[in-house]
Amino acid sequence: MINLRDKGAEVWEKSGRPARVAIVLASIAAVAALPFMGGTILNTPVASYESVLVNPVAMYVLMAIGLNIVIGKSGLLDLGYVAFFAIGAYTMGLLGTKTDLNTWEILPIGIAMSMFAGLILGVPALKLRGDYLAIITLGFGEIVRIIALNLGPLGRSEGIQNIPTPPPIFGFEYAFDSHRIYFWTLLVFILLAIWMVRRLSARRAGRAWESIRQDEDVAELLGVPTFKYKIWAFVLGASVGGAAGVLYASKTLYIAPDNFTLQISILILACVVFGGMGNIWGVILGAVVLAYLPDRIRFLSEARLLVFGLVLVIMMNLRPDGLLPRKKREKAIVTKEKS
Amino acid sequence: MIGNFFDQFWSLTFGGLSLGFIYILIALGYTLVYGVLRMINFANSEIFMVGTFATVIVIRDVFKFTQSSEYATGLRLWFILATALVISMLVSGLLSLVVELVAYRRLRRRNSGILAPLISAIGVSMVLAESVRIMTDSRPVAAPRAMDKAFIGQFFDAGIRLDNTIIVIAALALFIALTTFINKTRMGKAIRAVSMNPNAARLMGINIDGVISATFLIGGLMTGAAGFFYVLKYENTASSIGFELGIAAFTAAILGGIGNIKGAFFGGLALGLLETYASFFLGTQWKAVTVFIVLVLVLYTRPNGIFGESMTQSRV
Amino acid sequence: MTEPLLSLKNVTMKFGGVTALNDVSFDVKPQEILGLIGPNGAGKTTIFNVITGVYALTSGVISFEGESLAGKKRYKITRSGIARTFQNIRLWGDMTSLENVMTATDTHKKSGLLSGLFGMPISRREEKRDKARAQELLDFIGIGEFSDRLAKNLPYGVQRRLEIARALGTEPKLLLLDEPAAGFNPAEKVELADTIRRIRDAGYTVLLIEHDMSLVMKVSDRVVVLDFGQKIADDLPKAIQEDPRVIEAYLGVPENAS
Repeated sequence: MINLRDKGAEVWEKSGRPARVAIVLASIAAVAALPFMGGTILNTPVASYESVLVNPVAMYVLMAIGLNIVIGKSGLLDLGYVAFFAIGAYTMGLLGTKTDLNTWEILPIGIAMSMFAGLILGVPALKLRGDYLAIITLGFGEIVRIIALNLGPLGRSEGIQNIPTPPPIFGFEYAFDSHRIYFWTLLVFILLAIWMVRRLSARRAGRAWESIRQDEDVAELLGVPTFKYKIWAFVLGASVGGAAGVLYASKTLYIAPDNFTLQISILILACVVFGGMGNIWGVILGAVVLAYLPDRIRFLSEARLLVFGLVLVIMMNLRPDGLLPRKKREKAIVTKEKS
Repeated sequence: MIGNFFDQFWSLTFGGLSLGFIYILIALGYTLVYGVLRMINFANSEIFMVGTFATVIVIRDVFKFTQSSEYATGLRLWFILATALVISMLVSGLLSLVVELVAYRRLRRRNSGILAPLISAIGVSMVLAESVRIMTDSRPVAAPRAMDKAFIGQFFDAGIRLDNTIIVIAALALFIALTTFINKTRMGKAIRAVSMNPNAARLMGINIDGVISATFLIGGLMTGAAGFFYVLKYENTASSIGFELGIAAFTAAILGGIGNIKGAFFGGLALGLLETYASFFLGTQWKAVTVFIVLVLVLYTRPNGIFGESMTQSRV
Repeated sequence: MTEPLLSLKNVTMKFGGVTALNDVSFDVKPQEILGLIGPNGAGKTTIFNVITGVYALTSGVISFEGESLAGKKRYKITRSGIARTFQNIRLWGDMTSLENVMTATDTHKKSGLLSGLFGMPISRREEKRDKARAQELLDFIGIGEFSDRLAKNLPYGVQRRLEIARALGTEPKLLLLDEPAAGFNPAEKVELADTIRRIRDAGYTVLLIEHDMSLVMKVSDRVVVLDFGQKIADDLPKAIQEDPRVIEAYLGVPENAS
């Protein structure tokens, strides 16, 4: 796997602009064609391949990209990421059932709500050190769930039903079982998220996050406004989670507090850890594997969380870098040329 | 409502005290490990949960109590209780040792920062909790009552129950035993040395690995005892109680000042009482939120806890 | 009489029962190289820590360019013109040399996260400018060829110099060097002394902690001596070398230790 990655990187480095554009477009087309490539072999015991592609695969991928900004890039252990997912979903649920707004109109509101939540959680929490931050964020995630469980307007344990599907867009219609359309919608958001992360990583934000992750105290002393950038990480991560939540609600059409447990936070964490913290492609790969396999292999499906727990322990001890380690910047070509 | 509260004050308080002692013991699990490793042992909550199941197994399967059994009395009762206590302690203690070996030791050697052990700990918690959940089919498990929870006395209108009394006295005894151990024995001094300055301790020839293992063992013993007392008091358990009580006990440790044994005592009692009173007023569904509010308040107003270290110190 | 660039007045720093700094006062003049020496534990790194805002003073005042630094956030202190290196190398190992310095040059950027995200021209301009500046600094220090190497893979001597380049990236007026020569062989020390002089000649002011006496004496314009948290001497290098109090503090450590 490592050789493939390095080889791929080599090819990428050597290619000029037009070649790169071609590679990107071809990749996107290949992924977009995934729903057609399944056939019945790839079906899981509970759902069709196409359905699984949307949920959990694409969902986990999107959320893992979001959580990766917080944990992978900035080194902030957020154990309550599900809270942003929930806030996005409940925003969709409430506004979708109680107002005339449609999914596309609710989307920015849901994202804004999640970002706001990220801000109010972050401002106090990010002043704390690593392990305490973890506990506080865990608490936040639980509190959001408990509030959803106990507040009348949010449906208490029954949650919210009959959430409307999105209205047709560009001629595509959304029905409960039009998995492909949902997949492509999620794909658009995944691409947006990837673009955002890659863009930021190459510039000041990326450097700030890296320096915070590796040595926050020194970063502060070298002029990095660490608090500000930690908040940014939280808020951006939250925005991605919120978007995922809105789309989730408008697909499953029914949400309840049970959908937003601590286990989900841990699941997404496992995707990030397994795939390779900090490396967006690793994280995507990790999410795909961990989302798909347990559903596919019957006995694993029952013990999904157990498997994820094992993944966390094993990865941390044996291969903390994950499947695809953080990009090695030591380009083989460069050092060869210089020696 | 308020009137009602004052009527029930003493009985609530006694209940709160015995819960408090349970928290103290679990908090000790967190605080001891934090003292030597400056790390939160997330898995401690599941070690507690396993301890409760050990107790249930002893009472239900070894001594063959059922819902309709006669209560045990006299010497036989003490024997049963003592056995259950000891076995829970041992099971949790050993499990704690295993967790350290499997989940933390390697990372400690590699000096891999604070994130990695935390994630590993979360993984271990998941594995333990899920394993038990699968084994119990996600259902709570009832523990048959082995003793008559008679009122053995009165205090201002409130009856003092036998089980609460046993819990308070036995837990207090354990706490005193622990502090004596920490203060008077060689290993205890070694543990204190490592928590104050691991490098100096190593240079003085102290076997750090041994001390850390011992700390995990002792923490596990205390946590296992808490498991026994919990089952004694509440007569049931489930794979999810680790998480429920773990957060509360951890908050107790922080409240008192994590790393500080005195702190665990104070924090545990305070939280047991607080939670009991709050449940009375707000209902049990807001219990977790109350605990978190306490945690947030402590961390932001007095991060050192009452006796402990600062959580926002940078290390330069 | 020029205004001092940095001024410490009656600086006292207590940690619980330990008094790390006791009523220390001295000035750093613009464009001078001031050496800070003293036996181990004398409080030298603590001085750096209080200047850069790592600790809040127990009492006393530290002013930079006439303004007190009390209560200022650390990154703001850096922005106002004070940068440092560290006794134990504390580079960002997973980043390249260039990226390490670029993180420092980010200090004075006007463009932030959002302008970077949307590709605003100001962001692109500043990025290009600072990348060139970072390479320039690496070349100035003499490690330009390592710009694409990960900091953790660099040889020790290069790492030490990278620390300096990185600190310079923040465009400081005052550069605090904490034992920059630790672990260097004599040839490297000569080069370092030269580098420090070049830094000063380029317009920076340097406050230098060092254990190597000959290096300090050769390079410094003035020397301040600490012992047990107190200043025991503040003079020209020649005078310091002959000061009986200083000699006593070191209890017979020979004048040149290399």
